[in-house]
Amino acid sequence: MMFEHVLFLSVYLFSIGIYGLITSRNMVRALICLELILNLVTFSDLFDSRQLKGDIFAIFVIALAAAEAAIGLSILSSIHRNRKSTCINQSNFLNN
Amino acid sequence: MDLPGPIHEILVLFLGFVLLLGGLGLVLLTNPIYSAFSLGLVLVCISLFYFLLNSYFVAVAQLLIYVGAINVLIIFAVMFVNGSEWSKDKNYWTIGDGFTSLVCITIVFSRMTTIPDTSWYGILWTTRSNQIVEQGLINNVQ
Repeated sequence: MMFEHVLFLSVYLFSIGIYGLITSRNMVRALICLELILNLVTFSDLFDSRQLKGDIFAIFVIALAAAEAAIGLSILSSIHRNRKSTCINQSNFLNN
Repeated sequence: MDLPGPIHEILVLFLGFVLLLGGLGLVLLTNPIYSAFSLGLVLVCISLFYFLLNSYFVAVAQLLIYVGAINVLIIFAVMFVNGSEWSKDKNYWTIGDGFTSLVCITIVFSRMTTIPDTSWYGILWTTRSNQIVEQGLINNVQ
């Protein structure tokens, strides 16, 4: 009962993360939901395989998520400096 | 951790409940600072789950890196972005929002119907037997 309960949790939070990623109007919330999705994938993987490989994979993904969050937030700050607004609706950057 | 049975289950249920509320708050709250703090709550709860699963190093690494570095970085970025434009309440529910919510709900329900049907005990017993075989090989080598 405990095993399936935790899997339900991870599926539920994964769907919430995807929902927040698709329907968010500012970029910071999209990045937050992206970090949530990454974290949940590692959590469900570590929960399924109880060997050492799960731990190593989790450390790997944590480092990857840290690098990706740093790069994404720096891009976000430069976009905000250029355009004074971080709405995703206004992202017609290739339209000059 | 080798806690007694009922304490283990109570902790799992409590953490699951807090995770549910944190996930809802992350998406539905309009202020981005609130959603960033609820992300911190969700990450701390997942770290406590890792403690319950006997992987202590990953739990501490998650606590240090995710909560201590990534969450703080996200909060800094939210503070940099100008806060005066979040007060405008343009929070109406578009057709795209409803469609993606329907898709996500169908994802959850389809997974919820397939998870009890798959025989997890077969998969778990094979991984446990692999672990026992690995331990036996390591002991034989040493």
